[in-house]
Amino acid sequence: MTKMKKRAGFPSPDLVRAVLKGHSGLGLAFAAILYLVCLTGAIAVFANEFQRWENPGAERMETISANAVQAAYRTAMDRADGPVEHVLIVMPSEDRPWPTLRVDAEDGTRTTWIADSAGRITGEIREGWTKFLTRLHINLHLPQSWGIFIVGLAGVALLSSLISGLLAHPRIFRDAFHLRLGGSRRLQEADLHNRIGVWALPFHLTASLTGALLGLSTVIIGAIGFAVFNGDTDKVYAIFVAPHPAEDARPAPPLDLRSLFSKVAERTSAQTSKRIDYLIVEHPMEQGAAALFEVEDGSSRLASADSYAFDRTGKLYYEHKAADNNVGQQILGSLGLLHFGWFGGGAIRIAYGLLGIGLAYLAAGGVNIWLARRRDKGQPAPGLERVWAATVWGQPLALTCAALAALFTSSVALLIWTWAAVSIALLGATALLPPAMLSRVGRAGTGLLLITVAAAHLVVMGTGDSVTLIVDGALGMIGLGLLATFGSQISVFRRTLKAA
Amino acid sequence: MTGAELLGAMVVILGGAVPGTWMLRRAWSLKAGKAPWRWAGLTLLSFSILWPAWLLGEARGPFIAVTLLSVAAFGVIASGYTLRPAKASRAAREGLAPEPAERAPSVWRTTLRWSLAGPIGMVAAVALGVSYAVWAPGEPQTRLLIGGLIVPVAWGGAMAWTLADSRILRATAVLVGTAIAGFGAAMLRGFA
Repeated sequence: MTKMKKRAGFPSPDLVRAVLKGHSGLGLAFAAILYLVCLTGAIAVFANEFQRWENPGAERMETISANAVQAAYRTAMDRADGPVEHVLIVMPSEDRPWPTLRVDAEDGTRTTWIADSAGRITGEIREGWTKFLTRLHINLHLPQSWGIFIVGLAGVALLSSLISGLLAHPRIFRDAFHLRLGGSRRLQEADLHNRIGVWALPFHLTASLTGALLGLSTVIIGAIGFAVFNGDTDKVYAIFVAPHPAEDARPAPPLDLRSLFSKVAERTSAQTSKRIDYLIVEHPMEQGAAALFEVEDGSSRLASADSYAFDRTGKLYYEHKAADNNVGQQILGSLGLLHFGWFGGGAIRIAYGLLGIGLAYLAAGGVNIWLARRRDKGQPAPGLERVWAATVWGQPLALTCAALAALFTSSVALLIWTWAAVSIALLGATALLPPAMLSRVGRAGTGLLLITVAAAHLVVMGTGDSVTLIVDGALGMIGLGLLATFGSQISVFRRTLKAA
Repeated sequence: MTGAELLGAMVVILGGAVPGTWMLRRAWSLKAGKAPWRWAGLTLLSFSILWPAWLLGEARGPFIAVTLLSVAAFGVIASGYTLRPAKASRAAREGLAPEPAERAPSVWRTTLRWSLAGPIGMVAAVALGVSYAVWAPGEPQTRLLIGGLIVPVAWGGAMAWTLADSRILRATAVLVGTAIAGFGAAMLRGFA
């Protein structure tokens, strides 16, 4: 009888252990930044709701007339201190039911105004919190190009961790539905880490791939420009964006938008559910002025915006229909929507928020598993346990403090300082408090402050918009939930003490 | 499509995703007779991902479906959690992942390994993406976008590989070779 040598299946135990080593190293190296980016990303999914939360008094509307847009645009231009470079006019939509006008002056200053349905400017937009949150997610408030690159790098690290995590998970099917809570901390954390990692894999891959591509776009475009366009990256951008009008810097009266609105209406008259999304006016006070209209065509495509660009004489010099998009243009138009979950209404945004919290938990739980493994092996790392507890629970607390501060100031810089001070204070507290206490402080503090933010918002900002009530209600409920988990921890602690 | 219609479609998607995942869990928990449950579950889940393409848009529909499917799966998993006694048992260790490989500490190997995972891997991945954009057939926008998508995937793959592979010189040769060949090929042809 010949003895058959049993071949090890794929992946072999040695491969699993080697991949696990890399997975562990990469996870530890990027854990904090991944946690922060994923946590802020999960909240930034609701950026439109937060903008409404910050501007509850703005008049809500479904549409605005061309005459009203023209009036608001002229007033916004008049309020600019110097020559105006561009004006971005975002039209009212279901998610953000009021128009905004951002005026970019030649000296680099940017001011965004809100208008009412009559075209009167009602004031500067309040967007301190939304800007603070989204910029923290996009570039960590670091210098733009570096910050975006670092976040893109974190996206690649996440993608790599997903690949290595799958390879290092030989029990992927055997444990597919296990969720064993209590008992061994390491097993509980591993079950949560693996179930979240595997069952939400399509979301994790979508978020990390689109995020990494958006973050690395400057590097990729720079490399293409260097390799094939003699370093001229403008030629790469020109492949994707509408052409600029012929340069003519001679002064002229402000570009009249009303006739252009009529021309857009003529060209889109066959589309029943079209909607102008936004328009950009370039060099409005020059002879070479132009306006680019982006019009949602009402189809179910992800990238569904038609583009129309007119020069000062009203001549259409560029037109592109979403229906004619090639694969590349479809991908480009879908990246942001897929990354932020803005493609299926409120239900998908809530799902993205929950899955985003799951992704943040993957980063947090990975380090927890590593710390528990060290403890099991008799090599605990108490210092790191404290720092990690302060990071995981310090960030929700610091973000909530920034949200509270945003009720009283529009300055993004002040919010950054608030967030940084609380983050550092929690890290400083690691010298005094054990991990369990840091977790309790962070949890209870976040819970209490969330309830305070919701209540203070109602008092300070009022209840002009139903969405703000929903946001305040959600913040209050999350706060109560955190306080409830804090309370249950205390009662378990007391019972343990009594039993001892 | 109105908000109510979209919400209705989502309810139907969840109506397929929850029982589909539940059937897979049933197959997973049975000792015998798994196959019918497994196939029924997989069929229901596949159908729940595919039909929204027809109603909600060929890209939008499946993306909505897989997002809801993940949430539904968590619901099913959470509903079947087990609460274990406070003291860790020996049996619990069976469910744990194996211990990561131990490597003899070496400064130059560690430095080289992280250089491969970081900057060298990035250059190799960018070279791969750029050469795809230059050489592949199709519209310029499509080639550039797919080339762009190749970069994070290739870099992530290179990271996972170089941080796991003990034959570090082989990894160095492959990544440096890819970078030189990729950029060389791109510069040779230029963008058309």
